[in-house]
Amino acid sequence: MKRDLSVRIGSLELRNPVLVASGIIGYGREYERLVSLEEIGGIVTKTVTRHARAGNPPPRVCETPAGMLNSIGIENPGLEGFLAVKVPVLRGLPCAVIVSVEGENVPEFCELVEGVDGSGVAHAIEVNISCPNVGPHGMRYSTDAGMAREVMGAIRPLTKLPLIAKLTPNVTRIGEIAEACESCGADAVSLVNTFVGMAVDARTRKPILGTVLGGLSGPAIKPLALAKVWEVVQAVDIPVVGMGGITRPVDAVEFLLLGARAVEVGTALFADPTLAEGCVSEIDRYLEKMGSSSVDDLIGGLEVPEGRGVIRAGCAPRTVRGGRAS
Amino acid sequence: MNLVPCSVVSNREITQGNFLLTLKVPRGFSRPQPGQFVHLRITQDVEPLLRRPYSLEGFVERGKLRAARIYYSVVGRGSRLLSQHQPGAKLDVIGPLGVGFSPRPRRLPILVAGGRGVAPLLFLSRSLRDRKRPFVFLFGARSRRELYGVREIRGGRLHVATDDGSVGFEGSVLELLRQEWREGGHTPLTAEIFTCGPHGLLHEVSDFARENGIRCEASLEGPMACAVGACRGCPVPLLPGADSGRYPAMCVEGPVMDATIVDWARLP
Repeated sequence: MKRDLSVRIGSLELRNPVLVASGIIGYGREYERLVSLEEIGGIVTKTVTRHARAGNPPPRVCETPAGMLNSIGIENPGLEGFLAVKVPVLRGLPCAVIVSVEGENVPEFCELVEGVDGSGVAHAIEVNISCPNVGPHGMRYSTDAGMAREVMGAIRPLTKLPLIAKLTPNVTRIGEIAEACESCGADAVSLVNTFVGMAVDARTRKPILGTVLGGLSGPAIKPLALAKVWEVVQAVDIPVVGMGGITRPVDAVEFLLLGARAVEVGTALFADPTLAEGCVSEIDRYLEKMGSSSVDDLIGGLEVPEGRGVIRAGCAPRTVRGGRAS
Repeated sequence: MNLVPCSVVSNREITQGNFLLTLKVPRGFSRPQPGQFVHLRITQDVEPLLRRPYSLEGFVERGKLRAARIYYSVVGRGSRLLSQHQPGAKLDVIGPLGVGFSPRPRRLPILVAGGRGVAPLLFLSRSLRDRKRPFVFLFGARSRRELYGVREIRGGRLHVATDDGSVGFEGSVLELLRQEWREGGHTPLTAEIFTCGPHGLLHEVSDFARENGIRCEASLEGPMACAVGACRGCPVPLLPGADSGRYPAMCVEGPVMDATIVDWARLP
């Protein structure tokens, strides 16, 4: 039996639900000899900003127990550099290309979305309103529902491409932010971006990262990410792209069971460049074991026993069945 | 650059805490240049999570055996686990990666090594010897016990410095370099420097090179995540005037870089 792994996110059709997250794979070519792009659903590019950014001072990465802190600071060539240098690189990649954008203010978001829309290379746009490493504006748009609404509402009329709002987990009620994005025409939300973290060198009495604080990723955050994704799939009807700590192929299945329509593989790809392909194979194997022909049967298939309420941050427990609130 | 499965041929402790790892590599692993590095996955477990970059000490092609050699010290969790790998153990390796040393024709290479930083310079010295090019090798270590590989340095002129005076000149290898430059009749047009070692030493050597207008390449080390230029996690700060408002990535624009433009004070 041939199994159908394809999924839809708005008008974005993916051959399978496995993507590589922004900031991991550059613009695709850096990893082309290590990752089989023709086997995965797609890649999310490194975030593009309006102006070129040199990124943050070193050190930018620091390993932590089962995780990694980073403060890269969105080093990128800016919109003009992206259009001139990176678009030709992205053209012809054998998978979907989702371009990540991040603006310092609403007009910049608008300019970026228009620029990427006009490039003809993007299959979708991931709107990064959640980077913890780019100064005060970074997470601002996804820590406040009103501001998330402001930016998503402004860019929605500018493109027909699917818009995926990338959310920060560094909030108390992530479901409210997701709802705000949905209400303004976001086609999907993706989560989680990194958790704000810090590492200290007791020997030198100094913080390890050049920016003091950074974003924590890797297997250490998977339980936290699952909880955030679980909260959001109950809060919105648009597709949810889940990520955060996917390290073993079966982790991808877990996010889909929660109700995520697709997953993004991140930090663990640095250790295992074959991880994304491994996730595709694992999803296929899981479907085979289920005796199912479609990944749709897997998405939202989490079985939560009757009577076991789900505690959402700041909300009363609700009973859910099959990954959906009842 | 490829992802290749390798097997441990040997993993010997040379002196306390310092190991020489020999890895059998398959055909997919191209012949590396001195100064290039490999990214090793030390464990399949999640702790430690990231791969580790290691400079190559050498590359051996003998009959059917193709082997990469890595000289390393046990300094943390990753290297401790690596030291426990027995012959026959499998490791997956990405490499060869990065930019190696680039000796110019008709210049005398002066190799300045500090401690275990000697590894890529041993590789370079063998490559120079194979091409019958003369060189000067200045090797500084804390004591006689840390002078790894001195017997393999052939085809060039070797001078040793130890902090404790247990062998050779008592003092810093930088002093050896100053002396060599003073007495050797070198000029920036006839000689160049290649160096590897602790950042403090590299800082001093690059200052000396810059002050005297000498071409100088250093092999850098630092934390990396992807090692292929995708994540931009290993920026190298450059001196004002050289940076053009950007950070080169150590993994793809290094690890061997023009030492005279690196802002060593800002390099962790």
